[in-house]
Amino acid sequence: MEWKLFADLAERAGDRHLTVDVEPGERVEDALHALLDDHDDLRERVLDEDGQLSDGINVLRNGSEIHTQQEGLETTLEAGDELAMFPPVSGG
Amino acid sequence: MSDLSLDAMQLDRYSRHVIMDEVGPAGQAALLDGSVLVVGAGGLGSPVVQYLAAAGVGRLGIVDDDVVERSNLQRQIVHADADVGRPKVESAAAYVRNLNPDVTVETYETRLAAGSIDEIAAGYDVLCDASDNFATRYLCNDYCVLTDTPLSHGAIYRFEGQVITIDPGGDGPCYRCLFPQAPEPGTVPDCATTGVLGVLPGTVGCLQATEVIKQLTGIGEALTGRLLMYDAADMSVETVPVHRSPDCPVCGESATIDSLDEVTYEARCTIPAK
Repeated sequence: MEWKLFADLAERAGDRHLTVDVEPGERVEDALHALLDDHDDLRERVLDEDGQLSDGINVLRNGSEIHTQQEGLETTLEAGDELAMFPPVSGG
Repeated sequence: MSDLSLDAMQLDRYSRHVIMDEVGPAGQAALLDGSVLVVGAGGLGSPVVQYLAAAGVGRLGIVDDDVVERSNLQRQIVHADADVGRPKVESAAAYVRNLNPDVTVETYETRLAAGSIDEIAAGYDVLCDASDNFATRYLCNDYCVLTDTPLSHGAIYRFEGQVITIDPGGDGPCYRCLFPQAPEPGTVPDCATTGVLGVLPGTVGCLQATEVIKQLTGIGEALTGRLLMYDAADMSVETVPVHRSPDCPVCGESATIDSLDEVTYEARCTIPAK
């Protein structure tokens, strides 16, 4: 399963595109933890102090936001899914 | 304003608009009758101010509390070398006056604050958020939602840009639907720390100017309900559908922000728990 990361999230992870070892049938949360297990800098940025996804971090599965349009982190992954994560940016 | 109100000089100046079916004399008259407040006269604000002035937007407000620094000139193209040390609103206003006598420029050499935005922004048809900090961005969003004012949001980071149009009169989302509150201070580095590709705000600011012109003329499909993410390094554009959040603190079903006084517009732009 592939993650695409935007803005400072990509910098923290060291790459914009990262592959994680998660199979179809597992959940978005599994793919998130597989990603964060290898990247402590990123974990600190995207999870809040309770270990929940921070308010400002948006996760997309196949271009659609998981919380408002799908089943959140419980969403089941299918073969060929593309995951993306982006934060707000403020530069002008 | 009817098409007859375009004088001979204006028919000439705006002829490439006037001959377009989608704009025409009525659309040009709407631009000349229109007013826009541009928040920030930096990287994004430069092309916004330039193109809105060239298009003949009749009243252009520019807000910025900074002076021009030499390190701005790599991307803030409304300012010139001789402007270093001059208030940005002054050099931006001078550019507009030099470009188009049809435009009335109003300058506000201040940082927008909850206590001043009402007085400054009232009476403008559209706000364009070309600022460089989260506090101003959340303030613009909340003000526009509460006053039903269309807002063009644009923001940049190194090689990437985000653009969305917020039309509180419609059923689309606002900025807080997407990002309920700002990141913890210090988590997102700024341009001074990370650098920014100089041409990036040109591209993103032009997208914002396009959206503002569409709002004033009613042309096309607004960038509402979708966030455009541009990547200059990949030369890729993605538009992600964004929906109004029922939990949004300012436009949701049980919104908790009904006045700007309730928000602390610094750091995370949070609201006190009720």
